[in-house]
Amino acid sequence: MVFTSVNFILFFAAVIVLYFSAPLKWRWLVLLVASYFFYINIKPVFAILLAAVTASTYVFTRLMDQTRKESRKNVYKVINIILVLLPLFFFKYFAVINNSLIAGLQGWGIHWPLPEIELFLPVGISFYTFMAIGYTIDVFNEETPAEKHPGIVALFISFFPLILSGPIERAGNMLPQFRNPVNPDYDKVVKGLRFMLWGFFMKLVVADRIGIYVDAVYHNIPNHNGTTLLAAFFLYPFQVYADLGGYSLVAIGVAGILGIKVMDNFRRPFFAATMAEFWRRWHMSLITWLTDYVYTPISFALRQYKLWGIVYSLMITFMISGIWHAASLTFVAWGLLQGIYLSVEALTNKQRANMEKKYKLANRGWYIFLSCLITFILFGISQVFARSANLQDAFQVLGKIVTEPGALFIGAPSILIFSILGISMVMLKDFTDEYYPGRFLLFENRNKPVRVMAYSLVIVLILLIGVFDGGEFIYFQF
Amino acid sequence: MAGSLFIFNSDGMLKKLFINFLLVAAVVAVLDFALGKVLRHFYFRESSGLHYRTTYSMEKADADILIFGSSRANHHYVPEVFADSLGLTFYNTGRDGNGIFYQAALLKSVLKRYTPKVIILDYAGDFGKGRQVYDNLSSLLPYYQSHPEIRQEVNLRSPYESVKLLSGIYPYNSQLLTIAVGNLDMNKKRKSDNKGYVPLETEHPVVKEYFNSLIQQPVDSNKIESLREFVRVAKASGTRFVVVYSPLYQEHKRYWEIEICETICKEAGVPFWDYSRDSFFVQQPDLYYDPVHLNHKGALIFSKQIASRMRDVLH
Repeated sequence: MVFTSVNFILFFAAVIVLYFSAPLKWRWLVLLVASYFFYINIKPVFAILLAAVTASTYVFTRLMDQTRKESRKNVYKVINIILVLLPLFFFKYFAVINNSLIAGLQGWGIHWPLPEIELFLPVGISFYTFMAIGYTIDVFNEETPAEKHPGIVALFISFFPLILSGPIERAGNMLPQFRNPVNPDYDKVVKGLRFMLWGFFMKLVVADRIGIYVDAVYHNIPNHNGTTLLAAFFLYPFQVYADLGGYSLVAIGVAGILGIKVMDNFRRPFFAATMAEFWRRWHMSLITWLTDYVYTPISFALRQYKLWGIVYSLMITFMISGIWHAASLTFVAWGLLQGIYLSVEALTNKQRANMEKKYKLANRGWYIFLSCLITFILFGISQVFARSANLQDAFQVLGKIVTEPGALFIGAPSILIFSILGISMVMLKDFTDEYYPGRFLLFENRNKPVRVMAYSLVIVLILLIGVFDGGEFIYFQF
Repeated sequence: MAGSLFIFNSDGMLKKLFINFLLVAAVVAVLDFALGKVLRHFYFRESSGLHYRTTYSMEKADADILIFGSSRANHHYVPEVFADSLGLTFYNTGRDGNGIFYQAALLKSVLKRYTPKVIILDYAGDFGKGRQVYDNLSSLLPYYQSHPEIRQEVNLRSPYESVKLLSGIYPYNSQLLTIAVGNLDMNKKRKSDNKGYVPLETEHPVVKEYFNSLIQQPVDSNKIESLREFVRVAKASGTRFVVVYSPLYQEHKRYWEIEICETICKEAGVPFWDYSRDSFFVQQPDLYYDPVHLNHKGALIFSKQIASRMRDVLH
């Protein structure tokens, strides 16, 4: 049941009615049942894992709460983190490690006793595992009290708008909202619906349309020239943005309608002038999670190395982020590249600041544009590794872009034309939000007819050029 | 607790939401209706291309021989060969990317109007599970309202297809540019079909790996049922009916699919002509456009063979 399906719309309508009809003290139960129903609908057996992670997290956070001894609390924390990570590691990495061992040992004539296996990754496991770990650490650090109500903890970990692809929320933000539900608020409902509508537009009109072209190119790299691969190079970051960004908007909108405020996940990422700024705007819930629970502890431990400590911390953090995405060399390369970009920026930060000051570049339009473009290209290079099936393919793509110009593969012209139209609309909205906040508003225009026309036209555009047969959301695979 | 029960006490919020929702819905409905009408008008005004060929096949074709199938049908049967050899009129209804559901729906539409003397179904042998064939049924959406006989097949797309089709725009989703080009007559390539047949001239490098990826998949019973229905309906119409599995560059590992097709034909007493392992065509690169499509040269040779066998059947 993906967000863009009719089933989800019907399901959500039923949830709204049941949720707001229920007495305040039972609303958590409505959401919990709805969340498990939503998740079971994908594959019932996965709900057992979800329940196990929830049970472990509840028990160990409660134990932490009841313990005064710091060392014992630490033991509980570590045990729970290991326990909740076990399923993630098993489903995500066991098959890769096992199959690599078979292949590797075969070369040495050694027989590995296990057969080759392929495991089906329970959808959303990375996201709810991160939420459970975050909650455990927050309780350990006494930033959040351990929740006594097991149902509220279960709801936090399984909350249906977030479970499949985030945003990766924090207990400190979510638990009080689940504990103290609010009555429906007109403005929140309308805001939620706006988020949902724009999210659907991003997914159906932009992401899935670009996906047709990018998939066609990446499925047949040897037969495409550098120009076509360059087009796919520029399109793919927009696809991911529209896909995960669109998903996040729908998730935030759905939660918002229920009166639950969820953190933003994207903030106009392609208007970032540096990679550091980019990562403050892209997949923000993941990056703040990594900052709080990975980067900060590591950089604190390495603080004696000063600037180099930061570099090491960045490298380790992004390598973990890469491996979190997938147990493959392409994602290791992806993480490595991000680490390198950010490290170089950190090491040259002072010089760049001096240069910008000396030549008064900071407010120059061309300089900002160039910086944004370079940031986009750097991110695009890393995305080639994310999109390619293996390292060989990724290097082939990058090599051909530089060495093999030729005629652009167009296929059905409507694919590229609709993609460009969709990207232009998303970028225009982001541009006005970035540089002219509060102006040129459509969804939030004071004039009601303008608002109504804006909603209507977006719906009509979705009907007209949206891709209704598109695939699932990209981040479901992680 | 005032206001805690949303349904019963929402301080007028529900009413306000409902009114605004209705307002947006009304504007969308008007736009959808108007734009849908415009798209429909121009869709059916096209005089070449895929849309036109489907419309022609469903609503106008009156040839003695009709070819049904996917891209392999469309590019493998040359009209002149059949017309010259059998002295009968010919039309090729094959459409790229469309599978047995499309073909079954098309057959019902045709038989509602007339019974051709000969029907050849070129079956591409796709019984594996996969969404693509269902998704491609979108090519029949413009005909859903006016052709009730195809609804059974179109409804396979999703349980909500009939609801989605209340929209005027939805049947023409993603077709805006194609319709525009069809009406502006900009794309000369669209003129190149010859009684539905579109020749493939260029030779492509043969990708051998293609065949290794086509091993056994879980079977889609809908597809089997649809083929069974096609065979049953065609046979019952009294036409001369043959199922053909046209040539492939290389023998593949999906014999099980051919066997299913063969069994269905055998049960119904319908001839099944399998060219998938015909030594005349296998491993002959100069006859192919790609591993699964003959080029015009290959299509000419193949059509002659089929026409010759057909002559025997007819006489």
